Amino acid sequence: MSDSRAAVSMRGVTKRFPGVIANDRVDLELLEGEIHTLLGENGAGKSTLMNVLTGIYLPDEGSISVAGKPVRFNSPKDAIALGIGMVHQHFKLVQSHTVTENIVLGLAGGFQPVRLSEAEGRVAELSERYGVKVDPGAHVWELSIGEQQRVEILKILFRGAKILLLDEPTAVLTPQEADELFVTLRSMREKGHSIVFISHKLDEVMAISDRITVLRGGKNVGTVQTSATSPRALSNLMVGREIQFQTYPRPEMKGESILEVKGVSAEGDRGLPALKDVSFEVASGEILGFAGVAGNGQEELAQVVTGLKAISSGSITVDGRPMAGASAKDFIDAGVSYVPADRHGVATVGDMSLTHNSVLRRYREEKFGQGPLLNLVAASKYADRLIEEFDIKTPGRETAVRTLSGGNLQKVILAREMTTRHRLLVVMSATHGLDVGATEFVRETLNHHREEGAAIVLISEDLEELLSLSDRIAVLFHGEIMGIVDAAQAEIETLGLMMAGERQSEAVA
Amino acid sequence: MFRFWKVSASAGAALLLVFVGALLVACGGAEEEGAEERAAEEAAPVRAAFVYVSPVGDAGWTLAHDRGRQAIDALPFVETAYTESVPEGAEAERTINQYVRNGYNLIFTTSFGYMDPTINVAATAPDVTFMHCSGFKVADNVGTYFGRMYQPRYLSGIVAGMMTESNIIGYVAAHPIPEVIRGINAFALGARSVNPEAEVRVIWTQTWFDPAKEREAAESLLDVGADVIAQHQDTPGPQQAAEERGKFSIGYNEDMSSFAPAAHLTAPIWDWSVIYERVANEVNDGTWSSYQYWGGLEDGVVGLAPFNDAVPQEVRDAVEAKRAMIASGEWDVFTGPINDQDGNEIVAEGVTMSDGDMLGMRFFVEGVVGTIPESE
Amino acid sequence: MPLRLEMRLERSRRLEYLVPVLSVLLALAVSGLLLLMTGTNPLTAYGEMFSEAFGTSYGFAEVLVKATPLILCGLGVMLAFKMLFWNIGAEGQLHMGAWGATAVVMTGWDGSPWLMVPAMVVAGMICGAIWALIPAFLKVQLNCNEIITTLLLNYVAILWVAHFIYGPWKDPESFGFPMTKQFPDGAQLLRFGDSRVHLGLVFALLAAVVLYFLQEKSRWGFEIAVTGNNPTAAEYAGMNSRRNILLVMAISGGLAGLAGMSEIAGIQLKLLKDISPHAAPYGYTAIIIAWLARRNPWGVVLVSVLMGGLYVGGETVQITMKLPVNFVLIIQALILFFVLGGDILSRYKLVYRREAPIGG
Repeated sequence: MSDSRAAVSMRGVTKRFPGVIANDRVDLELLEGEIHTLLGENGAGKSTLMNVLTGIYLPDEGSISVAGKPVRFNSPKDAIALGIGMVHQHFKLVQSHTVTENIVLGLAGGFQPVRLSEAEGRVAELSERYGVKVDPGAHVWELSIGEQQRVEILKILFRGAKILLLDEPTAVLTPQEADELFVTLRSMREKGHSIVFISHKLDEVMAISDRITVLRGGKNVGTVQTSATSPRALSNLMVGREIQFQTYPRPEMKGESILEVKGVSAEGDRGLPALKDVSFEVASGEILGFAGVAGNGQEELAQVVTGLKAISSGSITVDGRPMAGASAKDFIDAGVSYVPADRHGVATVGDMSLTHNSVLRRYREEKFGQGPLLNLVAASKYADRLIEEFDIKTPGRETAVRTLSGGNLQKVILAREMTTRHRLLVVMSATHGLDVGATEFVRETLNHHREEGAAIVLISEDLEELLSLSDRIAVLFHGEIMGIVDAAQAEIETLGLMMAGERQSEAVA
Repeated sequence: MFRFWKVSASAGAALLLVFVGALLVACGGAEEEGAEERAAEEAAPVRAAFVYVSPVGDAGWTLAHDRGRQAIDALPFVETAYTESVPEGAEAERTINQYVRNGYNLIFTTSFGYMDPTINVAATAPDVTFMHCSGFKVADNVGTYFGRMYQPRYLSGIVAGMMTESNIIGYVAAHPIPEVIRGINAFALGARSVNPEAEVRVIWTQTWFDPAKEREAAESLLDVGADVIAQHQDTPGPQQAAEERGKFSIGYNEDMSSFAPAAHLTAPIWDWSVIYERVANEVNDGTWSSYQYWGGLEDGVVGLAPFNDAVPQEVRDAVEAKRAMIASGEWDVFTGPINDQDGNEIVAEGVTMSDGDMLGMRFFVEGVVGTIPESE
Repeated sequence: MPLRLEMRLERSRRLEYLVPVLSVLLALAVSGLLLLMTGTNPLTAYGEMFSEAFGTSYGFAEVLVKATPLILCGLGVMLAFKMLFWNIGAEGQLHMGAWGATAVVMTGWDGSPWLMVPAMVVAGMICGAIWALIPAFLKVQLNCNEIITTLLLNYVAILWVAHFIYGPWKDPESFGFPMTKQFPDGAQLLRFGDSRVHLGLVFALLAAVVLYFLQEKSRWGFEIAVTGNNPTAAEYAGMNSRRNILLVMAISGGLAGLAGMSEIAGIQLKLLKDISPHAAPYGYTAIIIAWLARRNPWGVVLVSVLMGGLYVGGETVQITMKLPVNFVLIIQALILFFVLGGDILSRYKLVYRREAPIGG
């Protein structure tokens, strides 16, 4: 039943990784000359699906046909040969080479010489035709991020691609650069190219796409015409309508205010504003949840309240202590614990032992050594205690934590951050990727600590989790707080709208 | 990462290795076996070792010494060995010592930088004869040897002085030490004895052995109009530069004509076999006792390479006349009147400079263009 | 064909020790073939090398002499590498250390060795440390690539030393050769017995002990290890990486400076041009040593001693078997080549596959 206008059609694509089904019988049809958005939360299976389409992964089941013909990719080269190219989030460019050199890099087979002047002419012609403004002779290091992205796009067009996949292309762009990108994409659509656009940003998605496919939990939960849907409907699709959750008993036990954030702004890694005039308070015995689509300032928020990122304006106090100019160590000393989202990259040192990791943020404490010395015997005992109390599955405390499963690694981190005497606990994506049992354990632990009087900032993309644990929920959008609602009265649809950028007052109305 | 006990085990092994070794060292050589015994088996009466500062293939200083070594290797009672590229300074002590330990009884150290190492090792090996080239420290079992290279330099200066048309002669020089300065002065005296208009322009490379740099220095001299290039360097770089520009050159150390067949007029050269054969014989006879040898044209330890065909008979005759005078002892190069660059008289008419003054020479004679780098 | 290297998930400890041994054997086999081609019995040659370097007290003493600067430089480089600061500048730091120690002697002060030697040690270490702190500051303040800055500063240091020995510090009696006067007795390091093994070896072993305790037993050592393994985690743990870079480089350069000091006060007994041998300069050999030693101070001691043995044994066969000098260099190079190659295989495995591993 293949549509004659289908550029690509994927049927029943399933891809399993050990313990996870990343794509579960996904159907996706990409028409000629359309911009098709792939929407979904982190971990919904978007990247895996695109990697299948570009030949990086082989699907376990299912079929792919391109222009009506069944195909089987053995490597990315096969996909490129059929005119499918991808622009990744992280560019793969040689900084010291020119635009043209980067574009022809790896093209000519064997020892065939490349005629650079000829190639430069073609690059100029392509950039003219598609309105992709970039100087073919410029060196990549001279280019802005937006221009480098254009080089990646030209690289694909140069190889004759008809089908372009763009993985969150606007995440690194300024609004002006994003607008220019959209002009380019529309011009490519007019010339018959098909584009898969991956994004979290609902406003962009509404503006640019013809059709939208929403993935959730590795499944296609619906493909809709953009004209026939709304941001609200999309966020409902992404989050899921029927949420079943266990609400923990939440006796009112709010104590004195622990964390006070007033008018804080901060920049992201690219120097773009990531947090704008954010203000909130968290009290002892309270969990403040932060909802929002990924990339709306959550990471920066967590870093700002743990001293890992400097703020450009505003003020932060912990336990009444002003933290202006404070280092991460000062925050630790002030009793701030932090469970980051990135367990491997930030929260642990993979090649070091469980013992070492268990004291990672605590090695300065008196119980782990006198003066300049580190008492590894004490650290080992402490590690043993954590292993037992948190039921960490490991061959032993000397095992490098790199070898632990995700759930066990998260237990190590939680155990370390929670067995200290903390005033404030900042937790990000604490249960992401964990199985049911581990998830339940994490949630119980958090709730327990709330009861013990900790102030908790809980950042998550999982609305269910936020609703079941938080006292109040704040919604972040484009680095701003859209509103803070009482979790007991919160409605999922209202939250969904706020996540799409509507202010609390508008959303409720 | 935390593996104290395992680490300690390997730590223990490492420490043990070092300390046991140190202990052995401290207790002295109780088990100095092997080497001497092995050596004794085939021992020729004279086992001569040579320590070289560069590879034999350098076509210069070391090659000249190795020719000398080959000459004595042919003697029935001599066997020889050599080590190339031995660093100057304390590193050389080990090499010299290893020859001693392997039963060599005559050791030639062929560069100035081996002076202290030679003296140090000699103090521990009273039965071994040491000869150090170009130094000034001696001991009961350490002698020195060198040649009056300034004599053939003077002769080659005559050749240059008569062959130059631009009256500018280039001289690529290594380090500003008395030996090199003496050579430049002798060369200039020779050139001006036949051509008072000639001037000798000097460039310092501060290297003994750097083909590219020495060649560049010669090129810059050619650029300012020099039409004969002389050198005190151990590579043929300057010769090649002159050959390429179609100018003349004077070599050094060895006959370098193979590198510059057209340019190479002649070269002041070494023939170390003269002194090596003498020492080998003395050691064999048991008549050697420490001395400082500084031989000249009369011994043949220094001389001139064969002339290029381009050198006219008239020039050859002029050279031969002076050669005969020097070899007979009738006259030597640094005989007055000699003025320095500023015209001050340094050696009065009829006076000949003493060896001591020659060995410490720190001035340029009239006709040399250049300065002696002096940092003090 | 899609052959590629893939990081081993499980690094087997047995492999970690087996691979270097096998690599050395393989290297000996290949150079053995070359030896056979020249008509030399490789077994005799190797036997000679080994028995001279480790079988005689003289040979082993010389091995230790050679190992002393290698241990000190190797420890310094290792510490910096442990923190992923690529200090290629041990050679320059060594030269500056030698210069600093000489400066003390050149004041003309002829004190007792009890004052003179400590003053030279301090001066040497400070000069080495300052030289290492320049690239560290450039890294911390301006994020300059330390590989470039440390490397280039080597040349500056070597020329700096050259300027002094050609100029103000030149011994007037050296016939114009670039070297200082011999140091007075009070400025020379104690030697053990009749050998040339000097106090510098004690400094080197002490440094290994101190570094071991710093690395394994101190909070600061923990910071260095974390930073080297995962700089982001170090930041997360509140560690001050900028301060640690400066500290690590001060120590690293100080150790290399001490190597320079002990080499001139223990062996050369004067400052001259070739403090570090041309063929295998200490500061650069130290990089290989630090790499092979698996960031372990005892490993540095062990590898330095073996490396010293390679040189001393190599010199012996040059003399006893009359092998040309280049041949010995080839054997040494082959051993390094195979050991470094084997090192990669112990960290990575060669795989033939099409499908990429699971991405994030």
